[in-house]
Amino acid sequence: MALPLYYNWRNLLVRKLSTGLTFVIVAVVVAVLAVLLSFSEGIRASMKSSGSSANIVALQTGATAESTSIIRPEEAARMMQTPGVARGRDGQPLVSHELCVQASIPRRPPPGNPANVAVRGVDDTAFLVHAEVQLIEGRMFNPAAHEVIVGRAARERYRNLEVGGEITIGRSTDKTFSVVGIFEAGGGALESEIWGPRSMISDVYLRRFTSSAIMRLDDPGMALAAIEYIRGPAVRMNAKTEADYYVDLSSKTREIVVLTTILIAIMAVGAVFAVATTMYTSVDSRRREIAMLRTLGFSRGSVIAAFLTESLLICMVACAVGLLGSLFVSGSRQDYLSDQTWTVIAYELRITPVTVASAVGLSILVGVAGAVAPALRAARIRVIEALRKG
Amino acid sequence: MLRLTYVYRNLTRNTRRSVMTSAAVALPIVIFVLSTAVIDGITRFLDNSARQLRLAITQKTSIVNPLPEGHRRKIESLDPTGTRILAVCGLRWIGGQRENDPMPLSTLGVDHDTFVEAFPEHRLDREEIDAWQRDKQALMVGRNTATQLGWKVGQRVTIMPSVPPYTPIEFHIISTMEKAEDVVTLWFRRDYFEEILKGEGKEYPEGLVSFYFVKCGSKADMDHFRQEIDRMFAGTLDETKTSDEKTFMNEFITQQFDLPRNLTILSAMTVFVAVIAAMNAMSMNVRDRISEIATLKALGFSGLFALALILAESLLICGLGGLAGSLGPYIAFTYTPLRKINIPVIQTFEIPFAMCIKSVLVALGIGLLAGAWPSWLALRMKVVAALRNLE
Repeated sequence: MALPLYYNWRNLLVRKLSTGLTFVIVAVVVAVLAVLLSFSEGIRASMKSSGSSANIVALQTGATAESTSIIRPEEAARMMQTPGVARGRDGQPLVSHELCVQASIPRRPPPGNPANVAVRGVDDTAFLVHAEVQLIEGRMFNPAAHEVIVGRAARERYRNLEVGGEITIGRSTDKTFSVVGIFEAGGGALESEIWGPRSMISDVYLRRFTSSAIMRLDDPGMALAAIEYIRGPAVRMNAKTEADYYVDLSSKTREIVVLTTILIAIMAVGAVFAVATTMYTSVDSRRREIAMLRTLGFSRGSVIAAFLTESLLICMVACAVGLLGSLFVSGSRQDYLSDQTWTVIAYELRITPVTVASAVGLSILVGVAGAVAPALRAARIRVIEALRKG
Repeated sequence: MLRLTYVYRNLTRNTRRSVMTSAAVALPIVIFVLSTAVIDGITRFLDNSARQLRLAITQKTSIVNPLPEGHRRKIESLDPTGTRILAVCGLRWIGGQRENDPMPLSTLGVDHDTFVEAFPEHRLDREEIDAWQRDKQALMVGRNTATQLGWKVGQRVTIMPSVPPYTPIEFHIISTMEKAEDVVTLWFRRDYFEEILKGEGKEYPEGLVSFYFVKCGSKADMDHFRQEIDRMFAGTLDETKTSDEKTFMNEFITQQFDLPRNLTILSAMTVFVAVIAAMNAMSMNVRDRISEIATLKALGFSGLFALALILAESLLICGLGGLAGSLGPYIAFTYTPLRKINIPVIQTFEIPFAMCIKSVLVALGIGLLAGAWPSWLALRMKVVAALRNLE
């Protein structure tokens, strides 16, 4: 026969102080877990939604990112024959030759210090290849003017990037560009960038070469053949799917996950001790009550279940509150500097289903681990002795 | 007078609770120590940068835009005597990897003639300097990187640069920089790199540096030339942004997850958790001993005695937790292979003994906070009411 849940709830309320303090500990640990996970989840989500497996990124052999790749016109021309490349309405291959450079743009205060933001020079083809890029505000840039469009994440994180803003881009400081539109790109890394007409961007950076070629395939199944062709003697360049390219760029995420796991494990063990202290005290102060329950016919299992339930009740309510608290940071933006592109990615801190599941899992783990030993102790109480001593 | 034996006896009356409370304090202290060590490492790194009396010069619009190598002579011309500007060194980042190894390397080409004077903290000996000047293919490798890759002095190694010409470059390792503070970076001669670029004949941009470092004679010289250099290049195609090395490095660090700020928040949260855990345990202790405290007071012991008793117990539990929580990481990062761990930017992860003392003091602070309310309750406890409630 199991004890009613009401009994557990009332017991928790009797010991308001220790229940409350234990609750606060678990809630804080869950909130820290959620916030730490939201860092890696935000970057991972940003990178995951960045690449299409139907797109191939071609870089100069040896270059690890677009920012350090230089492709000369004759090399770019050789890629136009890549097998499987889709064609536009005009019959031209959907190969976007892009120039990736950087501009120093101040963050929104605080702290307001400058960040290295990616600037991408593109032609019309880029919008057919990066089909996920959609204008959400303003208009497209004029290819013959000093105008740019800005990713949504970049606008939120950096200064002067609203429509109508003016920014300095280029090798010299006298070249300003007007922001005429805002785009989104499915929440991916491209949303941290500034896009402008390639010819204009080339002019102000004095760059004659492009950085990368992004090509759209008719069928993602052709990716392997296209990559082999580009890596082969006909082109001799490095190529990978766009999805793989961004996964490789997010290698730092793995380090963050490892670090987060270690920190959370340490905090969680601390929380287990806190819960166990509370539950042991609860057992010690209820010896006669437990003996009475046993006399009334409640089994050892019922007693164990009662203490586990109490512990889990504290932890699950604390989990809900901790998660609610962490929602305050959800949606805010942080940025990190990629050590491969030397540009920042303004990712969004996200409380995802993975975060919620991890928080619930941790709470159950802390609740059970903290209550098992005290519950077993409760189950082993000698009934006669406990009733006699009180 | 407070009898320490009494405090000790109290501590051992519920050993399990005392141990678990100490552990609940020790674990947050571990996180506190690790976070503080990283923050201190960053501060130490930045202070070291500040001590070097160096200016960092980048292209004004972005650090990634290179500067022409011709800027060096123009900067040097600002001080014909050579007493205020001691050395101007151009650096060219080439990143790089070993063949068939994706591990990114931090490889920098430098002006070999001014490098030694501009970066005295590398503490190169005479033989190393001679080899550096003599051998155009010389490569100096930070000792942690050398250990990690199994590289030795005298070995020939090949690096694939991440920038043009993207072809393998062969180097001779002449030093593993045993006395340098930087244990990660690979340094080579920029003139060798320029020679390779010219030999490629592929119209790759030549004669560029990623940034300059200018060693100045004094702090006043730094302040003076910081403005002078930017003024000289104002309005040219390659305008400069000159800052002291500390500011320059700090810009990098704040772009890496804003580490100092976020770690400070994490430390504060963990200390808070420790306070709550200890407070919970101390409240339980006082509740368990209401009759005892009331009896003590009835016997004539003062309220302050009861207060001191509870506070001392809280301080002892938390102090022991703090000791365990700080000594654990100290031993791990001082006497085990973990001491060679590389952390980006600060490079070496150090937990000085002084930090252990600081952490124990923080733990004692936790004990003070945790014991404050329960001991106040003991102080204010009405003896008659307390004894009556036990009936």
